[in-house]
Amino acid sequence: MAVNRNVVDRALAVLRTLPRVSLYNLKDHEHRKKRSARGQHGGGTHGHGKKFRQNYLPLGFESGNTPFHLRFGMEKYYKRYRLEREYPPVSLLMLQKMIDTNRLDTTQPIDLSSICNSGVYSMNINFNHHGVNLTDEEGFDQFCAKINIEVQWASEGAIAAIERNGGVITTSYYDPLCLHAVTDPARFFLKGDPIPKRMIPPEDAIEYYSSADNRGYLADPEKVSLARLALAQKYGYELPKIEDDPDYTMLTMRKDPRQIFYGLEPGWVVSLKDKAILKPKDKELLEYYRT
Amino acid sequence: MAQFNRFTGIFPLFRAIKGIKVNHSSNYKSAIALENLYPNSKLTLTTPSKIPETNEKFNGYIPVKELQITYSRSSGPGGQNVNTVSTKVDLRFHLESATWLNEDIRAKLLEIQKNKLNKEGYLVIKSDLTRQQHMNLADCLSKLRKMIWAACAADAPAPAPSAEFLEMARRRKEKAARERLLEKRSRSMTKQDRQAPSLD
Repeated sequence: MAVNRNVVDRALAVLRTLPRVSLYNLKDHEHRKKRSARGQHGGGTHGHGKKFRQNYLPLGFESGNTPFHLRFGMEKYYKRYRLEREYPPVSLLMLQKMIDTNRLDTTQPIDLSSICNSGVYSMNINFNHHGVNLTDEEGFDQFCAKINIEVQWASEGAIAAIERNGGVITTSYYDPLCLHAVTDPARFFLKGDPIPKRMIPPEDAIEYYSSADNRGYLADPEKVSLARLALAQKYGYELPKIEDDPDYTMLTMRKDPRQIFYGLEPGWVVSLKDKAILKPKDKELLEYYRT
Repeated sequence: MAQFNRFTGIFPLFRAIKGIKVNHSSNYKSAIALENLYPNSKLTLTTPSKIPETNEKFNGYIPVKELQITYSRSSGPGGQNVNTVSTKVDLRFHLESATWLNEDIRAKLLEIQKNKLNKEGYLVIKSDLTRQQHMNLADCLSKLRKMIWAACAADAPAPAPSAEFLEMARRRKEKAARERLLEKRSRSMTKQDRQAPSLD
């Protein structure tokens, strides 16, 4: 067979530049692409035999191509739902109503225990409820109480409403074990367990509670003072001078980050029957409760 | 909370009874107390009266007392709510006599915002953006701040174009010139081809 030398040389030159033959550059012969009836005994009847009986195709079958209900991946809507903390809301209007109907004492600091004991607010720790979310949806204009309140979540408008009236708001975190004590102190004291110490917030919450803009309990107090002024400028109200307030001591009263009740330390056992408080004396225990 | 009936006798103990003195203060200080987290910060809550003075003409502070704020009802659909609730905010102040603003900014604002000034010389800003009065007031104040910052920026000289920008501009000009000449030559050839060929 006489092959043109020129053609051969050119072909070899091209071959030198081409990549090596491998599985990645091999293709099936075209005739293999033909769809054949798959399945047992030659296929075609989708498991219904070859003797002309009822032949319903599988539900959703689209004559071979991937059916619509299998095309798209799973959407794991509830994948991390156990980790999602919920904060049942209390609007400013509700808070004002609670104060006006004497369910909350404004001469003392208000915290989650007071709100739960008021009888108007309910939360369920089993449903991953972690406390109060103070919202400004209703009652921003009606709110006129001067209070020291500690909630678990607060919207910017709620913070503005409280500070506008000369009050103080703090957001703090209670871990689930402490929540059992805080939400129902009466029941907890009847148990006779020592008051637990509060754990620091989880990773996804620590930024929130360390931020002065959210009035977090772990935030820098100096930054909080500046943030109060910034918010007053944003919402257009005159920030009342809190140092000149006769209730300054009450308004600036705060729990320690490890404390869950005002005036009670972690580690103490409150005995309602004996009407006494039992305090630990052991060095190790004292060290544990103070770290 | 009220599920356990045998504890009902205990609940009245914890109802809000005003006047009863409870000792809320405590000497307890843990390792993560604010004193230990922020040893160099003042722990007491204060109201900063003076804003730190800066070299800039405007540091962001607006004395709300100097502004006249009025509320009225908003327009648009909304039924009973829009008919009864005063959510529209009207914020105005006499611009020429606003001593809290720098003189240069005042002059610049008079120039730029002359459409927002009324006959008496009051700068008027209105907002009925949201359904809530306090948010609309915040919107008005933010609009005012933006106006003042824009007036500050108008005086400032325009920044010099960067080297990258100049290079890009030069390339663009050259490309445009090249394309124009290409188009011109192509047209010229077309016209020449319409002539009878020369036998020279």
